[in-house]
Amino acid sequence: MMTLESAQLAAMMGAIARRVESMRAHLNRLDAALGDGDHGTNVSAAFAAAREAIAALDQPSPSDLWLATAKAMMNRMGGASGALFGTLFFKGVAPLRGKDRLHKSDMEAALKAGLLGVKARGQAEVGDKTMVDALAPAVIAFESADDFGTGWSRAAAAARQGALSTEALIARQGRAKYLGERACGHIDPGATTIALIFEAIAEWWKETQ
Amino acid sequence: MRTGDSHFNVRTGDSHCNLCTGDSHFNVRTGDSHFNVRTGEPAARPYRYTRWQALPESPEFLVNFTGGFMAARPHKLINEPDDIVDEMLAGFCAAYKDIVRLQGDRLILRAQPKAAGKVGLVMGGGSGHEPAMLGWVGRGLLDVNIVGDIFSAPGPERILAGIRAADRGAGALLCVSHHEGDRLNAELALEFCELEGIDNVDMVILYDDISSAPKGREQERRGTAGLFFVWKMLGAFCEGDADLAAAKALAEKVRDSTRSLAMSLSSCASPVTGEIMFELAAGDMEIGMGLHGEVGRGRQEALPADATIDLMLPPILDDLPFRAGDEALVLLNNSGSLTLMELFILYRRVAFKLREAGIRVYKSWIGPYATTLETAGFALSLCRVDDQLKALWDAPANGAYMKQL
Repeated sequence: MMTLESAQLAAMMGAIARRVESMRAHLNRLDAALGDGDHGTNVSAAFAAAREAIAALDQPSPSDLWLATAKAMMNRMGGASGALFGTLFFKGVAPLRGKDRLHKSDMEAALKAGLLGVKARGQAEVGDKTMVDALAPAVIAFESADDFGTGWSRAAAAARQGALSTEALIARQGRAKYLGERACGHIDPGATTIALIFEAIAEWWKETQ
Repeated sequence: MRTGDSHFNVRTGDSHCNLCTGDSHFNVRTGDSHFNVRTGEPAARPYRYTRWQALPESPEFLVNFTGGFMAARPHKLINEPDDIVDEMLAGFCAAYKDIVRLQGDRLILRAQPKAAGKVGLVMGGGSGHEPAMLGWVGRGLLDVNIVGDIFSAPGPERILAGIRAADRGAGALLCVSHHEGDRLNAELALEFCELEGIDNVDMVILYDDISSAPKGREQERRGTAGLFFVWKMLGAFCEGDADLAAAKALAEKVRDSTRSLAMSLSSCASPVTGEIMFELAAGDMEIGMGLHGEVGRGRQEALPADATIDLMLPPILDDLPFRAGDEALVLLNNSGSLTLMELFILYRRVAFKLREAGIRVYKSWIGPYATTLETAGFALSLCRVDDQLKALWDAPANGAYMKQL
């Protein structure tokens, strides 16, 4: 498979939704240490809403899928994470516009635009204990590969490593920054969700080959 | 037997806890027996207090650690957790149907919209702070409140719907209480406005909490109970012929004249997850608590009422600074479950100390205006007023929880 079409992207979103749903309680527990304890509930509701919105679209283009996902994140997740996960997909809409088949370079452009959007909106860099700690290395790892398969599996590994690296950090952005040193010793739930997304995609890819 | 309740002797700390099984006893000062208060299962987060390190810039708040926890009120009179916000809004709008109505996806609107040609005021925000902001929709106050989930800002599409509902031909001002979720979603909503060709809209970021960033970095501070002053005076201002730019300037003037500081004796429990929102040892207090239980300047042993005011008032006065001869509005905001008795005792000391400092109290308000569920604590807010602001303060207002004849 050299390119991805809308039907495959919809299946990929479904795989992500199943994965975050299965990890909902785990994400809630991670969030309880740093925030409201509802990140898993909100993320799984948002991806379930995205899957429903995508299913309701008539012959969608890839950019339609990205926009529907962005809106589901913003409207169903709520709070800062809804805005940030929404931005991740929202900024990917423009690079995908007018394309029916996505080459790997198109996906790179969408992910990169999403990453830059998240960094700008959240004013976060790597090391701030946010989703950027998983997202930035994942995008770089994806770009470093020549094909989708290698790219997804490298991205998943990099995202997981990035998420684990947040354990030792003090939060410099997000609500957890008010926790100061008390945030140390806890893995960031947003970064974990990013790792789950890339892991779900990598596994889905392997199964479809 | 499931009572979801715990009683303890406030002097000895002895507790008789009867959560779900009826057989759990612990001493709230030393114990580590903790449950999810809704399900009765062991808590996801261990409520064992870890020694609190004061933030580097505030060593004076280093604590005497005693261990144990002050309990949040566990059992809530709700139905399904997923229905909390919608059921609350349905009840609120039924009770105050002459003042507000519910439209679309959790928009609270005035029952009678303001006259055409006046600037509309829109405010989004998470719920859990009632009567903020829904009690502030009405004549002389806000036009639209977009209600989010508990402590969670509404998304940009819903804010856009709120902006549309508030626009009476002279544009809309989106008021943002400064928290990351509120700001990010407001920025996205303005981008959506641009895409839709709505250009007569602007936003103003509001903040007042002196504990969340030092003087000189005011724009990093959080919005808390002191925004009370902005709603009232900006609301009165926008009943007149002000344009959008003038409305924003007035909001900034009130914001820049307002300073607040909060304290808390206890936490609260999320009605959705049943988890305690944050950890605070029994017998301790936290100064500078945010509206969602965010950590402030630090913790120390709880003090009597007068000593607490003596600790909190000087940094508020120094920050603006308020000077002898100034006139000020004073708000003593109940964060949830303090008694009015305690608030009046606290206010007595505030009035005494302000008189001592030569600051005249123009008007004062005491009560629950911006709450954090059932948190036991209060915020003290002062707003310096001139003749313009005093006239705006005295203008009529009719919201469900803010009335002025």
